[in-house]
This record gives sequence, C-alpha cells and structure tokens, in this order.
Amino acid sequence: MSASKSFLAQDDKITSSQAALVLNNTMLGAGILTLPRSVSETVKTPDSWLSVLLGGLVVMLVVILMVKLSLRFPGKTVYQYTQIVIGRYPGILWCLLLVLYYIAIAGFEIRAMSEVTMFYLLEGTPIWAITIPFIWVGAYLVRGGINAIARVGQIIFPISLFILIVSYLLSLRLFHLDNLRPVLGNGIFPVIQGLKSTVLVYSGCEVVMTLVAKLEQPKQALKAMLVGISIPAGIYFITIIMVIGGLSVDSAVTSTWPTIDLIRSFEVTGFLFERFEFPLMVIWLMQMFCNYSSFFYHSSLGVSQLFNLPYKSVIFALVPVIFLATMVPKNINEVFMLGDDIGYFSILLFILFPVTLTLVALIRSKGGPQHEKS
Amino acid sequence: MLSSIKSHIPGWSVFFQALITLVVPLLIYRIYKALTSLADDKLVSSGGADSSDEEPTHPISASYDANIDEIRNTIGINSDVVIRELTMGDAKVRAALIFVKGMQEDQLLKMEIMRMLRDTEPDHPLPIIERLPTNAAHTISTMEELTKAVLFGYLALMIDGRDEGFLINPPSGPARDITEPVSESLLRGSRIGFTEDINVNTAMLRKQGVTENLQVRSFMVGHTIQKELAILYLDQIVNPDLLREVTGRIEKIKLDFAAESGYIEQMIEDNYLSPFQQTQNTERPDRVIAALLEGRIAILLDGTPFALIVPVTFSMLLQSPEDYFERWMPGSLLRILRFLAAFIALMAPSLYISFISFHPGLIPTELALTIIETRQGVPFPALIEVLILEIAIEILREAGIRLPKPIGPAMGIVGGLVIGEAAVKAGIVSPFLVIVVAVTAISSFSIPMYSAGITLRLLRFVAMLFASILGMFGTILFFLLICCHLSKLKSFGVPYLTPLTPFRWSDWKDFFVRVPIFMMKRRPKLMKTMQNKRR
Amino acid sequence: MRSLKFLALLLAVAILITQSGCWSSNEIEDLAVYAGMALDTGEESPEEKTFEQEGGSYSKQNKITATVQIVPLKTGSKDEVKGKTSPYTNITGTGDSILEIFRQFSLRLNKPIIGHHLKIIVISSQLLQQRNIKQVTNFMLRDNDIRPSVKIFLSSGKALEALTIKTPDEVPSFYINDVVQNQFRTSKIMDAVLLTDLDAMMHSKQSFILQNIIQAKKHIEFSGAGIIKGDTGRWIGNLTQEDVECIDWLTNQGDSGTIKTYDEQGNPITYEMKAMKTRIRVESDQDNQLTFQVHVETKGRISEDWDMEGNPALRSYQKEIEKLFKSKLTSMIEHLLSAMQNRYKVDVAKFCQAVRIQKPGLWKEVKSNWDEAFSASKINLDIDLQITDFGSTTK
Repeated sequence: MSASKSFLAQDDKITSSQAALVLNNTMLGAGILTLPRSVSETVKTPDSWLSVLLGGLVVMLVVILMVKLSLRFPGKTVYQYTQIVIGRYPGILWCLLLVLYYIAIAGFEIRAMSEVTMFYLLEGTPIWAITIPFIWVGAYLVRGGINAIARVGQIIFPISLFILIVSYLLSLRLFHLDNLRPVLGNGIFPVIQGLKSTVLVYSGCEVVMTLVAKLEQPKQALKAMLVGISIPAGIYFITIIMVIGGLSVDSAVTSTWPTIDLIRSFEVTGFLFERFEFPLMVIWLMQMFCNYSSFFYHSSLGVSQLFNLPYKSVIFALVPVIFLATMVPKNINEVFMLGDDIGYFSILLFILFPVTLTLVALIRSKGGPQHEKS
Repeated sequence: MLSSIKSHIPGWSVFFQALITLVVPLLIYRIYKALTSLADDKLVSSGGADSSDEEPTHPISASYDANIDEIRNTIGINSDVVIRELTMGDAKVRAALIFVKGMQEDQLLKMEIMRMLRDTEPDHPLPIIERLPTNAAHTISTMEELTKAVLFGYLALMIDGRDEGFLINPPSGPARDITEPVSESLLRGSRIGFTEDINVNTAMLRKQGVTENLQVRSFMVGHTIQKELAILYLDQIVNPDLLREVTGRIEKIKLDFAAESGYIEQMIEDNYLSPFQQTQNTERPDRVIAALLEGRIAILLDGTPFALIVPVTFSMLLQSPEDYFERWMPGSLLRILRFLAAFIALMAPSLYISFISFHPGLIPTELALTIIETRQGVPFPALIEVLILEIAIEILREAGIRLPKPIGPAMGIVGGLVIGEAAVKAGIVSPFLVIVVAVTAISSFSIPMYSAGITLRLLRFVAMLFASILGMFGTILFFLLICCHLSKLKSFGVPYLTPLTPFRWSDWKDFFVRVPIFMMKRRPKLMKTMQNKRR
Repeated sequence: MRSLKFLALLLAVAILITQSGCWSSNEIEDLAVYAGMALDTGEESPEEKTFEQEGGSYSKQNKITATVQIVPLKTGSKDEVKGKTSPYTNITGTGDSILEIFRQFSLRLNKPIIGHHLKIIVISSQLLQQRNIKQVTNFMLRDNDIRPSVKIFLSSGKALEALTIKTPDEVPSFYINDVVQNQFRTSKIMDAVLLTDLDAMMHSKQSFILQNIIQAKKHIEFSGAGIIKGDTGRWIGNLTQEDVECIDWLTNQGDSGTIKTYDEQGNPITYEMKAMKTRIRVESDQDNQLTFQVHVETKGRISEDWDMEGNPALRSYQKEIEKLFKSKLTSMIEHLLSAMQNRYKVDVAKFCQAVRIQKPGLWKEVKSNWDEAFSASKINLDIDLQITDFGSTTK
C-alpha cells in the first residue's frame, strides 16, 4: 500500500496537521507579549479574556469563508485564483496588496523581536546586528519551501508550548482570581470595544488562502484550519487570564511587555532556573522566527507566482526589502502604531479578499464544481 | 502626509546595511553552488577516464607452454607468485599449480591436490573438477581472469591440452580473530563484531537467524584496485524504490580504491556539506539485522569491519542495541538521558559564554555571586577561557586514542585532573568552567555513535562562536540554524528528523521512549516498507 | 575569480568577528551587582561633603539620597583575608535623579553597577512625607535590569541604616529578603509588596500599606506597616503590628495567626488559627451609604494556657474561652477599622475589591474618592470562632 508511494517523492505538499501548525505559528507572534496591554487599554475591565475568545470566534468565521473560497479552486493559491476571478491585471494589483501586507508584518515582527532583544538581552548591540542574522537564517529556512517551515515549526512549537505552560503554572503563585472579577461588571459594551484590538492579534490568518492549496488532502482543510486557529486563540486566552489574574488590569496597562513582566515578577529559588524570563525569551524568539519565516514564505511565493519568477531568486530579492521594512519605524511607539495599522489593514484585506472574491466568484460562477468540468 | 512618508525613509546607512543583507547571502549561495558543482565535476571527470573494459581478452590456449609463458610474462615477475609444475600420472601430462605465497593457508589441501594429480590418469572416466578434493572449484576460460584470480589468492590449476583453467579454493589469507566490537561495546548483548573478511561478515549475518529473505548482492568497486562490496536487505520488507536508489548510487561510485567503508559513505551521501552523517556505521551484526528488519539496507565492504546502514535518521544516532536488550523502562530512561547528553554536549559551553559575558541577570542570584567570586582574577573573557580548556580536552582525547592501551587511561587522568586543577590554581580558568567542560566532555562520551559525537564536537565550537558574538540570541540563532538544516536534510529520501518531523506518532514508540516490545507491532512508517506488521 | 570572491568573504567575516563581540559583552566579574537599595531624604554623607570641599560637585538640589549595596566584595587571595572583611559594601550618593546618582557612582567605583539582582528596596518614610512614591520609584519601574519581583519596604529611621545591620556573614539585603519567608509563622509579616504590585496600585490611585522596618543598635525588626495615601502618594502614618495582623484577618489571606488574651485572673491564653474564611458583603442604600457585613469564620486550637484550673478538653470551658478570644479579635479589628476610618481615612484592607466585584455600577461612582466613601461607611463585624483542638495535653 504505502510502498506504491514513491520513496523519494519531493512534493511541496504538507499534511493537515502541519498546515494547522503553520497557521498557528503564523498567528502566534509578538501578540503574546503585548496582547494583555493592548486589549486592556481598550476594554479597561478584567473582561478582556472574553474579547479574546469572541475575537477568536469572529476570526474563525472569516477563516471558514476563506477555506470555502479556496476550496473552489483546488490546488490553486490565492495569487493564482484571484487572477481567474477578477482578471489578470486587477488580480495582480490586489494580490500585491496582500504581498505588501505580509512584508509589513514580517518587518513588524522582526522589529518587535529586536526591540525586546535589545531591551532585555543585548543592551547596546546595534539593531542591524540583531535583525540581519535573523533574516538570513529565515531566508535559509524559506528556501526549503513550506515543507521545511512546517517541519521547523513542528520541532519548535511543542517545546514552546511546554515551556509556556510551565512558566504560566509557576506564575500561579501571583494569581488572584479577584483580579479577574467582576465578570461583565460594566456590561457587554467594553467587550465589544475590545474586539477591535483582539482581532488585530489574529492578523495573518490570510495565509489560509495559500495553505489550503498546499494540503495533501484538501478535504480536511476546514478541520485543519479551524484547529490551527483555535490553538493560538487558546494560548492567547490563557495568556490574558494569567497576566490579568497575576498582575491585575492596572499593572498590565502600564507595562510595555506585560507577559514578560509577569514572568519577571517572581523568582523560584532552588529551582534550576530561578528566573523564568530566560526560557520564556528563548521560546518566544524561536516562535517569532517561525512566525516571520511564514510571512517571508508567503510573500515570496506571492511575488514568484504573480510575476512567474523563480521562487528561490525572489527570496534573495526580498531579503533587503524585509530589512528595510524592519527599519521603517523610528521608535517603539511607531512600532506599536504600525502593529495597529497592520490590524486595520487586515480588516480591509478581509473585505477585499474573502468577501468580495466570494461574491464575484459566485456571480461570475468561477471555480467550484463547474470550473473543474470546463 | 508626504512629509511624514519622507521622514520615514531610512537614512543611507540603513540602505547600505540592506545592501549587505542582500550581498552576503548571495555570496554564500554562490560559494555553495560552486562547492556542490565541484562534487558533480569529480564524479563526471573520473567517470570519463574509465576505459579499461575495452582491453582485448586472451583465451586460454590448449598449449601448456604458451599458457605458462604468458603467466610468467604477466605476473611471474612477482617474487611471491609460485608456479609449481608437476606431471600427472603415468601419461606424464604436464600440469601446474599457480598461487601466491601466503594467500592459501591450507597446506593439507595443496598436498592432497598434488597427490591426486600425480596419481591421476588423463583418461579417467570422471572429469578432473569432480575429483578435486575440495568443494570450491570452477573453470575459467580467459587468461585475464586467471591472473587476476591468482593474484587475489585463488589456487589455479593448468593442465596441458586443456583450453581452460581451474580455480580452486578461494583465498584464505591470514585473518583476524572475531573479537568484541571495540567502538561499540555493550554490557549486555552479543560480543561478536564484524571482521575484515566480507565472507565472514555475511556469514555472521546469516548466522543471526534462519530466513530465506536475507539477500546479498555483490558489486565490485574501485578502478585500480577492486574490492568486493555487498548490499544486504530483507526481501519482502525493503522498499524497492529505496533499493533501486541505493544500487544506483553504488553503481555510480568512481573510485581508485575503497580503503574503508568511509570512502563509500562519502561517495553515496546526499549532502557532503552537511556536518551530520547520512549513513550509520557499525561493527555489530545485531545492529545490522535490526536495521534490516526495519526495512533499511546494509552495505558491507571487504577489508573493513564497519558496515554502513542507510537511510539513517537522527534518532538512530542516539540509540544503542542495549535499549532493546534491557527492559523497557531502563531502556527508555537511558535513551532520554542520551538526548539530554547530546544537548549538553552541543550547547553547554555556548550557554556558559552567553550567561557569563552577556546575561548576568538570567542566572540565579546565589549562583551569580558564586561565579563572580570564583572568576575573580581570571584574565580572559569567557570565550577565550572556554576555548583554552575545550581545545585542551579535545587534544587530550585525540592523544588518548593514539596511545597504547595501558597508557591511555593514565594519560586521561593526568590530563583531566592535573591540568584542570593546575589551570584553576594558576587562575587561568575558573573552577565553574572546569565543571562545565567536564560535563560537556562526559556527555559527548555517552553518545553511542562515535562519528555522531565528532559532529557534535565540531558544532560545539560553532555554537561558541555564535554565543560569543550575540550571546543568548546568537545561541538561539545557532539552534534555529541547526533545526533548519536538519529539517531540510534527507538521507536517501528519508527526512533526517523523522519521526519528530514529519510527525509520525506511531514511530514515536521508538524515539524518546522505547515502549515494550509487544507494542512495537509495526515497522517504522518512515521506511515505507512492503510489509507493515512485524508479526 | 572565485578565489578573489572567497577572499572578500573571508575579509568580511574577519571584520565582522573582530569588530563585534564587544557590543554587549561584559564579563560577569567585571560588574558590580547590587542586591539592595535604600532611598532617603537628600542629605549628603560625610564623604560626599569632603568630596565637595575638594571641588567634586555638579549642579544639583539634593532631592534624594540613594544607597546601593554591592555584593560580593572582592575576596582578594581567597583563603587568608576571608572573615575579616564584610561580604558587601555600601555606596551612597545624593542628587536629584536616581539614574544621575547611579552614573555618579561610576566616578567612584571601578566597575559598572547592574541591577539584575536587586532584591529589596527600602524607602524611608521621611522621604515619602516629602515626595510622591510614584516619583521616587519611577526609575526602578522603567529600568530594564531591575526585575518587577523586587520587594519594597518602608523604614521608620534612615533607610540606609537598614542596609548596614549586623548579620553574621550575611548580606543585609538577603537577610531582609529572607525574613519575609517567616510569614507562615506570624501574620504580622504582610505579603511583600512587589514592584509590579506597587505599579498597579499607584496606577489605580488606591491607598496601600508597605511593610515597615525599624532598627535598634544595628538590628532590625519588621514592625507594622506604613500607609501610603493613594491620591498624593505620601506616607501618612503607621499601622501597628496588631493592625497588620488584622488586615490578614480581613483580607482572607492569613496562613497563620495567633490571638493572645487573658482570662479573668490575668493568665494569658493563646489561640492558634488553623483555618479561616472571611467574607465581606456590601450593601448600599439610596444615598450610596455603604454598609459592609464582615463575616469571619475561624477554627483553631489552644496552644498555650496559663490557667491552671480550667480543663480545655471540656466543651463548657472551650465555650468560655472562645468568647474571650472572640471579643479580643473583635477589639483588635475594631482598632484597625477605627485607625483606617477615623484616623487616617484610607482603605488599605481591600474593601474596595468587594465593592468593585459586588457592585460594579456603584464602584464607578465612588471610585474617584473611595477613601472618603469608605471612611463614611458602616462596618458590621460578625466573628465565628471555634476551638477544635487543644494540643497534645488535655490539661
């Protein structure tokens, strides 16, 4: 049975569990450190965890729409089927927006990574010395295609999850349930307001539209993508519960990187590491690497598919572009502003891509079963 | 709006940095390309020089004198070639036994043959070959075959009036006794190890148990000096695609001479720029059989006790047959311990450097204070300090291998204890570092595969370099780089890191934990074997 | 051509390696680790005065005096000198901003100071009478080296004296840091206030207390707590040790606690708490007049009884004693409440949490001047004390 499958097969397809993991890694990024602050700033009550859950649900609906749209064009990525649906040149234009968006996120993630690294680990090291090697290693990984990215994710994510959970369990010593009460004390309104900033942490879910095309078994696409989105939703949820419960809303709002502050707020004497920000930083840096690599991959894939360029040369061309995108924000405030802008941009993209494309595809009856027949 | 965009355009220095960001990977890529094409060149050019097959062949003539003269002309100048002429029976038919001194140990046989020949009449009803008092004899018809075989150690018989020669008794030159495998000794398990004789080795594998599925296919490798190479696999289990790939690669080998299976390894591996080995070498027949049962292929070369096993995965390098011989719980514990040891052997010095010279804030307070006190007066930065001791240890280890057995351990004690103690006393290194380096060295000894240990030792120095430039961040980058490399690396089409990734839950039974044997009902999925079930 | 390129690459790598490696690298033994910090009112130390006379000064107004405790002192040639020198050294500076003082230290020390291992900060209550705590701790909150797990204490006397106490072979900062662990023995030691807690409480502008340290002849004692008023950030007074104990009773946090009282003959009897549960219910009428129903439930044992006559195993005797303890606890808590409501007019026993959780609507209205609303509120105590155990002797 399995012997019939070629032993040395070199296909660029991934299994559904790998796809779920790539999606998960694409969304778990800088947000894990900043989310408690950004959400608490808008919600102002301890109900921010509700916003995160609700935001996850909203994004799940979006993802379902994206999967349904992508399944109409089996084996085709968003860059390919947009051209089918709305014509070649408008399609290229639309997809360029998406590529630009991915590059901006990649730049943002690297910048956030290097800001944290410079602040906590390498004070005094020039920023280029941190970003450039990071970009290079990422480029090396991206050359291996989606398969390599998925595999590295598979190595790193279990480690990350394990250490994250251990760190959170240890932080229970600071946890006070009273910090999370009352539930809905000010009604549902602040929760709805918080949605605005929680949807932002899920930006990057657009990669669903390319991942579906890379699946070995597209039938499991919906399941895989929903799993892929619920893992980060769960992690964000636990993060916010732990941070708000441990630090209280007031402290979360005032701290720049609340999650790190939570872990820095206790010492476990007599344990192997007394200070758990070290393992946390390690896994976070590795997670940021997976995250950025995924965006790097999707933007290079986009450029190569839009202009029919060889994928591996596109990677080289994008390396300096991503570096420039990293260096655009002038200070940390602008980094956070860029993060917000990316979130708003993702809402625009949502309207442009899944909604409009689905409508147009339905009207012009492109894709789907009829398309396959013709 | 415009001005805000303008203010966000980075300065020239940033563009220059962007340029560097672009140029360096391009350059590395070019060098990589050049290096890989170098490997292709080597294969093609040496392949072109292959023309020896075209030589004309001389059939053995019926004239005894012509044959003997030819033999004398071609190989007779060698002082160790013996041509023993004799006459057969009463008919006085001339015959000659030709052999190389020292290649035929069996004196008794030679005497038996000579007696038989002397007493034989040429018109005996049975052909000569059936009456030879040996089980291994066949006829050949060309002179080239004959001379080659004689030089290889066969006993050749030429008889006047026959246009054929007889090759009797394969060479049985001096051979080493079968001993315990030196590089992979076990507490529990068979004490048998391969020897230099390929026939003995294949016999050893056959003796592991009765099966009609064990297939041996033999090749000759080497142009100037040929050697026998055998591929072993279990029919019904091995994936035919894999078999085709392995035979294809072996047929492509262009070599002057294969001195050791390491030559073969380097000719057939997937990526010669990778620090990780892509075949496993072993001296243990039980290990080979276990690998064959998983659907792998073994390559045996004459003249070396090291067999190669392909394809290999990362986890195999940290496994020992003992894991299976002991009960499953201690087996699993030892295996997990080895994974930990591999991690320590790779990372410990670089973590030390990054903590000591970059992140004093990440060490527990009391430990930090102890380190500060012990490091008072150490004149070197952490990197130099670690390098001094690491290099000393590596030299010690290298020296210990060369030394005769009785001196080796003494040398290790002198080196390890005295130098470490003296270095601390002299204030060159801190006592804390001695612990780190010692633990690292011990960890790297606990890796069951010697060659995997070398890889880790090599990479350890790279990690130290990364750590000395960027601290913890550099160490993480190094780890990511290794992860990226390993996840792209394949050994004969099998991803190197299976079953970790691509994730195969069923293969995890034999990864970190070795589950009880009754639970390992299936062969590893990654090998895509023909027959899944073990029973 | 190829070799030229290779040379270029080699050169680039060589430049990278030789030029880098020193950006952030700093060997650990070349750093001065400080474990404790003390903040006092701006008053120059004798050395500083001498320095200034020698002309070593810069423009400053002497707003604050900061002391750091550097560990370990260079031990010299290991074995001989040990024992003679103290394991730490203190350095004091006076100036306007803490960062500036720290930079000034660089003129006087041979190593840069780093705050990664800072464990405690002691602030003198005198300083907090003059300055807002928010101003004083601002640097520590912003700095990237100092961890938010630093514990904050108040000192009635000079804070720097708390860092010069006589402890056998131990660094005073670690000593003070370890005293907190005795919390499981007595609830007179309150939960240490961490820098993060401080940050949160200052942000929400609520009043809070900090553990107070008093000194006598180079020895210290944890005694009571200083009250920091939320809106001004100033120290306004101290709570007694028993008040601190009662705060644990009220906030449902006590792991340990004893009540000592006297029987009619004046014999001391001591109750040791084994379990407790406190519930606070908030009620409000139309004019936002708050009423708190405080219900304390506790079980414990008689640990010490000087009364020779009574038999603790007798239920009737236990009842009698329970009553005594109950009235003692009530009077202790009432003392605390009167201190909070009448004397200082602050809420430091987390009554606000009860309102915030139980009446979120009301909380929004009273939040801005909570201390006043609390002082005007009515608090009803209801104590349920049970003796379940009398130790290993019945008599």
